[in-house]
Amino acid sequence: MKKFITVIATITAAAMAAAPVMAATELTVFNSKSEIQTQYEEEAAVYSEEKGVDMTVTMSNDPVITHMGTKYASNDPYVLSMVDAKDIYSLTPEHGIDLAGTDAAADTDYAIEIDGKVAALPFCVEARGVMYNKTAIEDITGEEFDPASVATLDDFTALLDKLVEGGMEAPVAIMSEDWSLAAHYLAQVVEEQEDPEAFVAQLLAGEADIINNAKFNSLMDTFDVLMKYNYAQGGAAATADRNTSEDMLAWGDVAFMFGGNWDWSLIVQSESDSEMGMMPVPQNTDDGSNEKLVGGGSKYYFIDSSVSEEQQQAAIDFLNWMAVDPEGQEFVTNTCALVSPYKSNTLEVSDPLSVSVKAYADAGNLIPNYNFFPDDHITVVGALMQKYLGGELDREGLAEDLTEYWKGASIIEH
Amino acid sequence: MKRNTTSYKVTQYLMFAGPATVLFCAVVIIPLVYGFYLTFTSWDGISASKPFVGAANYAAAFGDGDFWVALGRTLIYSAIAVILVNVMAFFLFFLVPRGIKGQNFFRAGFFIPNLIGGIVLGYIWQFVFNKAITAIGENLNIGFLKNSWLSTPSGAMACMIIVAVWQYAGYMMLIYVAGFMSVSKSLIEAAQIDGCTQSQATWKVIVPLMRASFVQCLFLTITRCFMVYDVNLSLTNGEPYNSSVMAAMHVYRTAFTNRAFGTGQAEALILFIVCAIVGVTQVYVGRKGEVSA
Repeated sequence: MKKFITVIATITAAAMAAAPVMAATELTVFNSKSEIQTQYEEEAAVYSEEKGVDMTVTMSNDPVITHMGTKYASNDPYVLSMVDAKDIYSLTPEHGIDLAGTDAAADTDYAIEIDGKVAALPFCVEARGVMYNKTAIEDITGEEFDPASVATLDDFTALLDKLVEGGMEAPVAIMSEDWSLAAHYLAQVVEEQEDPEAFVAQLLAGEADIINNAKFNSLMDTFDVLMKYNYAQGGAAATADRNTSEDMLAWGDVAFMFGGNWDWSLIVQSESDSEMGMMPVPQNTDDGSNEKLVGGGSKYYFIDSSVSEEQQQAAIDFLNWMAVDPEGQEFVTNTCALVSPYKSNTLEVSDPLSVSVKAYADAGNLIPNYNFFPDDHITVVGALMQKYLGGELDREGLAEDLTEYWKGASIIEH
Repeated sequence: MKRNTTSYKVTQYLMFAGPATVLFCAVVIIPLVYGFYLTFTSWDGISASKPFVGAANYAAAFGDGDFWVALGRTLIYSAIAVILVNVMAFFLFFLVPRGIKGQNFFRAGFFIPNLIGGIVLGYIWQFVFNKAITAIGENLNIGFLKNSWLSTPSGAMACMIIVAVWQYAGYMMLIYVAGFMSVSKSLIEAAQIDGCTQSQATWKVIVPLMRASFVQCLFLTITRCFMVYDVNLSLTNGEPYNSSVMAAMHVYRTAFTNRAFGTGQAEALILFIVCAIVGVTQVYVGRKGEVSA
């Protein structure tokens, strides 16, 4: 018995001594894109096996900054973190390394540079616009639907009337979520200005004449039309359930909904076989913005500067793999069904909304995101837009409240 | 060994209360003090530096109109919910009197909502208000049930109160039952021998002797309603248009969503003080007239 115990103890001691030598480099990854967590975890297992690293992917539903704050406070940062573009400006100056010189950085136009350094690299390209159900439209009109034919609000309204006449009671769904209304729709008022930075400076100084601003009125004219044909009205519109709206679009109960290619993850669950796509927000304008989607690089990676060099290198290797390696490209495009922001990735995307986004991106028809909105922009402006959507606020009231809000706001430093 | 020496007392204290003291300090005292310290900084929640800004966060908190609106809303919600929860709890307590068949089953049934986490409970009720009730309204053509109550500010508030009553009434009922159990049977019998009717015995003897239960129930419901967050998040998420944002949700949004950590912490402290004043006053007033057998 004594001999047996000695043998076991020796084996255990040897294993413990050898463990640090044999341990694979630990690559902890933070994923803020919840809809791909399962695919990401599965890929991490395969990647770990193939590359000899110990890759773990963690996801959190907390606000990114809250979650990252906890990790940094406990001195246990992720090696590689995927966060929103605006978070990069507050996280990387203190915690990120320069990614210049990596294969991935050389392969994209969407990297974020801060003070001459490549602070972050994108995971995908995402864009906003009006999603449409082509099948539902064609079933009623009997004609092939060309999104370019409804670029102006007048043409768009005529089509909506035609759909109503054809029996589609309410051809539009509007998402009531504050982030959709404030950070996606109304944000376009800033993003579609000739000089967004100058316009924001005017807003902050209280000098922007919002109610007489052409872009504000153009987008709100369209929003009024969307509201008029929305399936929910009044208070019900301001609290409409997103899943219901996505279902209605997928099944052709409505034909149009403002959103982005990330909505596909919900639409696909409806298992509808309708043909779908995305088009720019129709506007009566001649500045060309009604021919472009708004978007660009999305979900940005940065590498922590406090982890070991081996870990940093493992993270760089993963980013390069994701950008230029055929297997990594396969992961982004086919496994996650996303548009890759890397030029060498020429794979065809599978989801129809991303097909539209890629077509606009490849043609250079994306208006860049403005990533520096104040932190409370979504909750405050989102509530104002919900009030407008619920009929509790008119356009003048909205403009006044926006003016007041911006006077006391502070944008993300960049 | 001398038992009245300081070292003996310290050793005894450390042996018996040491672990609890360490834990209490680690999870209550230190975070409280650290949180208080953060109210004097402009920390963004992630940076290593925490610049000292004096009382600026308190000035910001006192000047934050939305916070006071949310606090006022919480006061109204708490006042109505506390009354209704306790009325319902007392009603349930009477509804399931001692001796009826299956009393434990009914008591357990009424208590179960309290075992469901607030987040889950909020989502369940959201489904009830948004889908089930509206479907009944549509099918039976009942006007006020056709639209979700969650779509209007007053409706959302009413929904929050309904859920609070559903969640806490069973729990408070148990405390009333425990209070009733502690009333000596001999006193009730004595009252009845002296000529009290059932109702007189209830209101003149049992209820006064259950005063401690009332104090306890009121304190629990007041503090829980004041600090409501989970149900608020999953049931309304502050909608429509931030009209159902309660104080705790506003504090969370200020600190974490808007990344004004210091201001959020200052507002949390104000909320804590208001809640403590209301709670302690209620206990003090409640205990003052307490009687015991």
